[in-house]
Amino acid sequence: MENKNTDLKIKGLRKTFGKNKVLNGIDFELTEGERVVILGPSGSGKSTFLRCINWMEEPTAGKIIFDGEEVTEKNIERLRRNIGMVFQHFNLFSNMTVMENLVLAPVKLKLMKRKEAEKRAMELLRHIGLPSKALSYPSSLSGGQKQRVAIIRAMMLSPEVLLFDEPTSALDPESIGDVLSLIRELADHGMTIMIVTHEMSFAKEIATRVVFIDKGRIIEEGTPEEFFSNPKTERVREFLKKVL
Amino acid sequence: MNNFFSKLAELFSTPEYIDSLLHGFLLTMQISYFALLIGLILGTIIALIDTAKPSKWLVLPKFICRVYVGVIRGTPMALQLFIMFFVIFAIKGFPSIIIAIVAFGLNSAAYMAEVIRGGILSVDTGQTEAGQALGLSGFTIFTKIVAPQAIKNIIPALGNEIITVIKETAIVSMVGMYDLNMAAKDIGSGQNMASYIVPMFVAALFYLATIYLITFIVKQIEKSLRKSDLRVEK
Repeated sequence: MENKNTDLKIKGLRKTFGKNKVLNGIDFELTEGERVVILGPSGSGKSTFLRCINWMEEPTAGKIIFDGEEVTEKNIERLRRNIGMVFQHFNLFSNMTVMENLVLAPVKLKLMKRKEAEKRAMELLRHIGLPSKALSYPSSLSGGQKQRVAIIRAMMLSPEVLLFDEPTSALDPESIGDVLSLIRELADHGMTIMIVTHEMSFAKEIATRVVFIDKGRIIEEGTPEEFFSNPKTERVREFLKKVL
Repeated sequence: MNNFFSKLAELFSTPEYIDSLLHGFLLTMQISYFALLIGLILGTIIALIDTAKPSKWLVLPKFICRVYVGVIRGTPMALQLFIMFFVIFAIKGFPSIIIAIVAFGLNSAAYMAEVIRGGILSVDTGQTEAGQALGLSGFTIFTKIVAPQAIKNIIPALGNEIITVIKETAIVSMVGMYDLNMAAKDIGSGQNMASYIVPMFVAALFYLATIYLITFIVKQIEKSLRKSDLRVEK
């Protein structure tokens, strides 16, 4: 894992879709090695928040400052190669084999030679136990396999931060375990992570900080111990009562 | 029935008739081929403009594309052909094959644009997002990820458009061009065979055979492009 002093600051982030105000001013800071779990009821804006960080959604207002530089439309591609993202529905490129999925970005972005990228991809595939799937198309993989390939696809660029947008919500219970243990392993290696999830026990276990979002605002944040055993706000107590 | 077969024999044993049919068929194929080429190129351009992310530079081009597709699809092909012949290209001695190619090309472009647009929109937005999240440029995302998947999805509809254009070109006989359709009529007329049934039957066979062949080729292309969908282990 590279040591690049990650530094992400978000100030006054707002996002509206037409008349619908999804994010109503979010201030947030992330430092290297943190593992932030974002919780909140559905429709609270937690996925939108995550998607605004790497400009999957263009913020309506507010600033995102990454490594001391404000993110704009012009430098967005540089930001994105340093911030990996894993999606709920995997989004493997369905017209490419697993291997092609893995090597496309590092080769196109001229970060690696093809040979080098293929070697690295093979190492990662072996690591997740899927070397035999290198030449298969995504359609022949199970959900859990797809998601693990999607995670190592993001890792091919050695990002400073990995964003997970409900990575296990579309999986069957058995695959969930496989995907979570891969994320856990990344965490153990010091990867900086932000994750939106509904897996409460996983959140408790992995988080260094929990952020609770409701109606487009951060209502409460703290260590998982504080958050789960001693919540400060009534809204969080109510939420925890329902989900735990 | 005996009459039918004797007429059939007559047609195939008269070199002028065969010659006429082949000339007609050649013209039909020439118009179709070049018109489809124009349609594919122009249709792709229209579809790209239409599906591009909205920006102030594209407001006018997008509007023009919408109007163009609307007008072409909202008026009869035969009328468009007449307008080309008797209004826009009403120049003495201008080669009619070029006018016909332009007329069918411009018409086909509108239909192809819709087919291609549908193909592009059929690709899951998650594919584009995954490309963006990896820091890939819009160009790479389109050429490596979206276009290959879109092409796979539009092949059947594109095959349909090819077939439609080939058959539709038969209306060039309305402006006096000697295509396959016209050849059949000419061979069947009073000063030739004086019977329409056999030449028209043979012309129909020409069209049918051509379209069967194209259908077969399109199916093969479809099959080879579908390989990434098959759940086969390697």
